[in-house]
Amino acid sequence: MAATPQAQAQASSAAVRGRARRAREEELLVWPDLVFIEFIAAVLFTILIVVLAVMVDSVLLDRANAAVTPNPSKAPWYFLNLQELLLHMHPALAGVVVPTVALIALGAIPYFDNSNEGQGEWLSTPMAWPLTWIGAAVGSIGTLLLIFYDESKHVQIYEWIANGKLNADSQAEGFHAWPHQLDFMRGLRGIQNEIAWPDWTLHVPLGDVLRTDLLGFPRIELDWNIPAFLVEQFIPVNTMIGLPLILSFVVHKMGIAKTKRDHMILQFSGFIAVYITLTIVGTFFRGEGLVLGPYTIFAHE
Amino acid sequence: MATSERPQRRTMGDRLYDAIFSNRLWRSIFRSGYPNTPRNQMLAVATNVFLHLHPTRIHRTHVKITHTFCLGGLSFFLFLGLTITGVLLMFYYVPSVDRAYEDILALETDVRFGQLMRNMHRWMAHGMVLMVLMHMMRVFYTGAYKPPREFNWVVGVVLLVLTLLLSFTGYLLPWDQLALWAITVGTNMVGSAPLLGEPNRFVLVGGYQVGQAALTRFYTLHVIGLPLLAAVFMTVHFWRIRRDGGLSRPL
Repeated sequence: MAATPQAQAQASSAAVRGRARRAREEELLVWPDLVFIEFIAAVLFTILIVVLAVMVDSVLLDRANAAVTPNPSKAPWYFLNLQELLLHMHPALAGVVVPTVALIALGAIPYFDNSNEGQGEWLSTPMAWPLTWIGAAVGSIGTLLLIFYDESKHVQIYEWIANGKLNADSQAEGFHAWPHQLDFMRGLRGIQNEIAWPDWTLHVPLGDVLRTDLLGFPRIELDWNIPAFLVEQFIPVNTMIGLPLILSFVVHKMGIAKTKRDHMILQFSGFIAVYITLTIVGTFFRGEGLVLGPYTIFAHE
Repeated sequence: MATSERPQRRTMGDRLYDAIFSNRLWRSIFRSGYPNTPRNQMLAVATNVFLHLHPTRIHRTHVKITHTFCLGGLSFFLFLGLTITGVLLMFYYVPSVDRAYEDILALETDVRFGQLMRNMHRWMAHGMVLMVLMHMMRVFYTGAYKPPREFNWVVGVVLLVLTLLLSFTGYLLPWDQLALWAITVGTNMVGSAPLLGEPNRFVLVGGYQVGQAALTRFYTLHVIGLPLLAAVFMTVHFWRIRRDGGLSRPL
């Protein structure tokens, strides 16, 4: 920067008059130091996007036809995490309640963690990096394990080991199947379908229990199905709230996370890991009929 | 500091400089001279409606690329790029179930640079969703949401939702199988909400299934409703960055 002597004198005297000299010396002028960086970033990205647009065409499938349902039908990629959740719990929970609560929780982060600790620097608290890795590892591995469980992959692995080969013929003589006594552990649905629930648990007339009519409200007509409620709502909700709480509790007891900021880093990293894992599984591992398996989305998108 | 003697005679360069940067036209537009002195450089930022989103001075740690990776700026840049390519695409696109798909085909085959514009629009849209998500992660991991910037984080979360909705509404417009069924799956998720789900889905889709009404609604939201809303929230977002003292710094 070639500055005239007058201008330099002017700038330095302004510095003395203004804020403390040291603070001024730490500062740069936005023009040129910031504006040029922005300009260069814009140019680089323009080039990048033009090159990408020249090389890769966006997809255009057949004309929209309400009579032909493609298999699989998928939402845009950034909603595939929700579509993946949809396979494991009640649709209202996965499609609406979870994203709403997640967004509200996300927005509330600064109001939980209102300390000034670790501000303005990357992962600046002493345990920030370990906590990020713990959150990311537990979030992604935990999500994968839960999906594997719900997709009965542990049953496949058991039968693979018991029979000594993958995909053994289940009709053949001497086939070692998953023990019948443990059928309720085949997956989350097993709890609903493989346990001999008494009949009354399937149809609890809620209106007889919750007498809303006594309060002047309409009487509830709903037949409450307790096993379905357990599997579709109670267990998923408790898993989604409980596991993060247990994680925070354990890490706190171990003395790794001490402050609110530490717990925020842990939970946020876990959340991002779960989000990314669900997106990847929903995008690349859900094929026809949304069955879990290696599958490539690139034929479509 | 050595002071050099000023030349007595004005050189050719000086005269050219004055002719360009001191004439009435230049002054009427930019007010200050060419930004080659600290004074003019600060004036260039302070007297320009676009640049004055920035302060005139900035802490030296904030121009380090690794501090922000330019993610917020790039999100905004992609928004601008999407606006430009989007306007160009609107010249050729009619949001009607009878024409939309054919318009996209024509765009790809008949319109000069049509395919390029469509590709750029799509890649920038995907890019913006990614950038906004990464920007959120950057702000979180640098602790930049802490007081006094709490509410700007909330505005940012709103902008994330608006970005997703902008992308989602745009998804339907090509009116191909991917569009129709992605929107059907997505709006069915809305419909599964307790109590208000089905009415909300009905309002969003404008009927019981994704058809002309849905296309009209999504198009209107995509080209005017949501961009305007996003622009308002972006204004608040940027303004508050300045009001809250620029980028966050260790205390």
